[in-house]
This record gives sequence, structure tokens and C-alpha cells, in this order.
Amino acid sequence: MHCFEKARYPISAVIIWAVLFLLPSQAFAIQYHDSSEGIIVHQIGHLFFLASMVVLLFTVRGKALARKKGWRCIQYAALLFIFWNLNTLAGHFLDNQIHIVDMTPISFLQVEIASKSNSSLLNWGYYLLKLDHLLCVPAMYFLYKGVSLLVENQQPETDQQP
Amino acid sequence: MITSFLPILGVDIAGSVAMIVLALLTLYKARILRATDPDNAVFLYLLWISTGFTVFAVSRSFGHILKQFLVLTHNADAWQSISAYSGSVNTVSFMLVSLITVFFNQSWRINEKILSGRKELEDAHQQLINLNQTLENKVIQRTERLTSSEHKCRRIFEQSLDTILLTDNDFKILETNPAGIELTGYAKDEMLMNSMTVGDFFADPSDWDKVRKKIRSEEYVLNEEVAFLKPDNAYVTVMITAGIDYGAFGCAKSHHFIIKNINEKKHMERQIAQADKMAALGELSAGVAHEINNPLGIILGYTQLLLKQDPDHAEDLKIIEKHVKSCKTVVSDLLAFSRKGTSRIALVDINGMVKGVAKFLSNHSDFRNIDICLELYQNGQLDVTGSEQELTQVMINLMINACHACEKTGTICILTEKPDEKTVLVTVQDNGTGIEKKDIQRIFDPFFTTKPVGQGTGLGLSVGYGIIKRHHGDIRVKSTPGSGSAFTIHLPAASPDHSAQTEDHP
Repeated sequence: MHCFEKARYPISAVIIWAVLFLLPSQAFAIQYHDSSEGIIVHQIGHLFFLASMVVLLFTVRGKALARKKGWRCIQYAALLFIFWNLNTLAGHFLDNQIHIVDMTPISFLQVEIASKSNSSLLNWGYYLLKLDHLLCVPAMYFLYKGVSLLVENQQPETDQQP
Repeated sequence: MITSFLPILGVDIAGSVAMIVLALLTLYKARILRATDPDNAVFLYLLWISTGFTVFAVSRSFGHILKQFLVLTHNADAWQSISAYSGSVNTVSFMLVSLITVFFNQSWRINEKILSGRKELEDAHQQLINLNQTLENKVIQRTERLTSSEHKCRRIFEQSLDTILLTDNDFKILETNPAGIELTGYAKDEMLMNSMTVGDFFADPSDWDKVRKKIRSEEYVLNEEVAFLKPDNAYVTVMITAGIDYGAFGCAKSHHFIIKNINEKKHMERQIAQADKMAALGELSAGVAHEINNPLGIILGYTQLLLKQDPDHAEDLKIIEKHVKSCKTVVSDLLAFSRKGTSRIALVDINGMVKGVAKFLSNHSDFRNIDICLELYQNGQLDVTGSEQELTQVMINLMINACHACEKTGTICILTEKPDEKTVLVTVQDNGTGIEKKDIQRIFDPFFTTKPVGQGTGLGLSVGYGIIKRHHGDIRVKSTPGSGSAFTIHLPAASPDHSAQTEDHP
């Protein structure tokens, strides 16, 4: 003797879905995005990167890992990446967000930096901000050095294993 | 403001290249680090973060180099069209790095848990190793103790002079020690292959029935004396103690027997009893003979006197004379048995004496159908110190007994041997009727005879026994009913430097 299987959905739900499907109206689900959103997303990304480096810095400190030279180097890398993120945040803010500074290469040898307020300080500040590799390359170096030292620390333990 | 572009350009391009190189080196090192301990979650995290940084460094550096190249080559428009893509990839790459970094704490916790779990596992493993080692040590100790105990038990079993037999519930032999092999005369393989039981050793099956029933009912027997029959038909008197082992560790029920050979002991006891009996009988016989001898002498004297004086009653008187002489012979034998006679002690050549007896008896009518064979010792002189007359008498008695046992038809062998420098053996062996087991204990008793009335006095063997004992020897008998008997006289051999001497022996 067979039993009839109980309906999975109630009849009312079927009616609601049918009405929604048969009687559509304007949803405004897809909005237009301005090109300025790109730089904001990029800046948020930098902030996120900065925050993650802060987290890494304090986590290494909180777990007292800095006593080991490798982790100390990684901590330095995180610190330098924090500075680098601040540097890039500032640079992008000036030239890409509020557009008060502009840099135009004239030739291989010369560049023109122009600020709306003609502030020499702002110009030189922006010039220095453009040298951001002076922060991120050492940061990357410390990361490399930290991992290398961890490998060196790990190696004798591995060699001792039978 | 117009200023030098070279520092910015140089740092940007050199920095971009350096970023790529350092990021790749970091990734390489992170892979090595991970390889050292693949289960380490922190190392895995560092590999991920290095990968993220490599993606970030490569995408960003290529973007920077490309931008500088396009701008300086007056293709700024081209850069404008691709900068959005480069920037987006760049954004995604460092957000990826950020995401991975944020999970450092979680990675660390996971790693700690893994390490903690591994530590617990290692501790448990170490404990297991220790337990295993302890167990192994205990097993070794117990095995050593067991081996030592087994060795002791095995030595007791193997070295025991008493027979130890182990049988199954049906008394089938499972194990025996060397003493058991020697006592029973059967090889161990023979016992096992032929499924022999303890009952097969018993000379009398009724004895075995009795012992078996007692074991079944009382579960033990203690010091039961029975006779075993060996494969060479020799009897051995043994004392049996047996019990039941209900088995341990799943072993089947079994019986164990401890069997002591008391043959020698019984033989000695019999000899002592015989000697005591003979001594008592000798004293009695001597007393009786002495008291009878004188009246017999008087009766014989007067009878012979009357024969001369009164020929009318000669026939009656001769009958009296004959029977008195018979009585005197008996008395003389009794005196000989009780050592009351006199004899001449000298060096006796046993082979010569045996030959003389054989020659003398071969002419006797009773020995007409008897085949007398001599197997004499040939490796030198066979001398004993004693009375030749008495020893001859003993030999004649044994030969006459053998002749009667053969019912005057058969073979009698006389063997002389010298098993060692101190002993001389003389064996009289016949193939006659043999001696019944019940009679064998009494054959040396005075007046014991199995012959019909009037044919024997029952003094022959007892007189012989007395003579041999007086010569510091022994006389032993082996007999199988229906097959014959063998009497062996053991005499001490005369020493080589013994000079012929004579003396009167009381």
C-alpha cells in the first residue's frame, strides 16, 4: 500500500512566487558606479593592508615571538609596511582623491610638480612620498630575512631527526 | 616646481625590480620552511603570505615599470587605458595579503592545537613504548623464571632414579624418563608408537586391574607392590605410587606414576629371611639329628649282631638294617646341612670338578637319555678355595634335580664363567618343566620337595645351599615354568698367589 508524499511547499508560497514572476515592476537593483569608486576601493585596500600589518605586529608581540630573530624581522617588515601604507594613502589622497598635486615628467631628467596652492612644502612632501620604494623594499627585505632565519632555525632540528 | 626626476625614476624602477626579486626569494624560503615541517600551520601561513606578497610585488612592480616606460616614451594615453586594470590587480593582491595576514592568529592557534595534539601523541607514544618495554622486561623475567623452573623440573625428571611415567586418562603412556626405559626394558619410541599403557608392564593382569580400579575410585595409589615383566621375561618387583592430575590451562586430565624398583631390596629381604630360616632349621636339624643318630647307631649295631646270631630272621633284620641306614643317610644330610660334619678345605679346580661330575653321572642309568653339554671357562684356571667333596655333592644334587626336571629326557648344560677376578660362576641349566612361581621361594627349605613321596628327601637343595653359604658363596635360580630352570652358584675365586693348603673345616 502506497502513501502519498506530503507537499514540500504550501500552496500559498506557490501563489506568491507566481504573482512576483507574472507581474514584474522596476527593481533598481543595478546601480551606476562612478570612476572615483576605484580610488576609494584602493584606499580602503591600503587601510585594510595597514590594519592587517598592525594585527600581525601586535600578534607577534603578544605571543612573545619577537624574542626569535626571524619573527623580529617579520615584525620589522610589518612596521615598514604600515609606514608604506601610510605613505601611499597620503600620496593617493593628494594626487588621486583631492587632486591638489600633479606630477608631469618633462624628460628622463626633469619632472614638474605642481600644486594648486603652489606650496613648495607640499611639492617637496609629495616628491618624498613618491619615493615609497624606500619603505616597501626594506619591508620586503625584512620579510625575506625573517623567513630565512626561521628556515635556519628549523634546519638544525630537521638535521637532528633520524 | 621643476626638479630632478632621476631619484624618483631610479627608486621606482630599482625598487620594483628589488621587490620582485625579494618577493620570489621570500617565496622560495617559505617553501623550504614549509618542507621542513609540512604539518606546521604557521609555516603554511607564512607560505601563503609569501605567495600573496609575491603576487602583490610582481603585479605592482610590473605596473610601475610599465607606467614609467609608457609615460617616458610619450604614451601616457596608453597607460591611462591600462592603469585601471593594473591598479585593480594591485588592490586585489594586497587585499589578499591583508586577508591572509588577518588569519595569522587563527593559524597560530591551529598550530598550537596541532603541536599540543602532537605532544600528547608523542607522550602517549612514549608511554606506550615504556609500557611495552616494561611488558617486555616482565615477559623476559617471567620467561627466564619459567625456563629455570622448567629446567629444574626437567632435571629432576631426567635424573630421577625412580621411574616417572605420565599417562593420559586411558593410562596410555605420554612421557617417561630414562629410569622408566631402564626399568621397563622398552624404548620410549616403542612405548609411544605402540600406544602402550602402564598395564602392559604388569606381570599379572589382575594386579593391574586392582591398581587401575583403585586409581579410578580413590584417585591415587600409594606404595603398591607389584611385579613387572620385562621384554626378556625377567621379573622386577616394583612399588607404585600414582595420582591424577586434572590439568591446568586447558590441559586434559592425566595420571602420573612414580615407580620404584625394589627388586634388589626384596631379593635381599628374601635372602635375609631365608638365611634366618635356614639358621633356625639348621639348629633344629642338628639337635634332632644328634639325638637320633646315637639311637640309630645302637639299633643298627644290634640289628647287625642279630643278623649274625639269628639267621632265621635274616630277612626281617635286613629290612630293619636297610631302613636304619636310610635314616642314617638322612641324619648325615641333616648334619651336613647344619655344618656339623667335617670337611677338608683345599684349592678346587672347578672345571676339573665339573668334568668329573659330568663323567660320573653320564654313566648313571637315569642320565641315559640326557644330553650333557659343557661350556667351560677356557681363559685360565678356575680355582676356588673349598671342599671338593662338598662342592661335588652340590653339583651332583643339582644335576639329579635337573635330570628329574627333564623327566630323564632332555639337555642339561653346565657353564663355568669368571665374570671378574673375584667371582666364579657355575650354572646348571636344564630344559625341563621349570619351577612354579609359588614354589620358587621354598625350594631351599629342608624337606620341601615336589617329587612323589619316597623319591626325594627334600634335603638336596637345602644341603647344597648350606654348603655354598659355608663357602661364602650364593646360589640363585631363574626358572620359567614349562621352559626350564637355571641354578647359578656364585663362589669367590681363589686369589692367584693362593698356595695349596688344606685345613679341616668343622
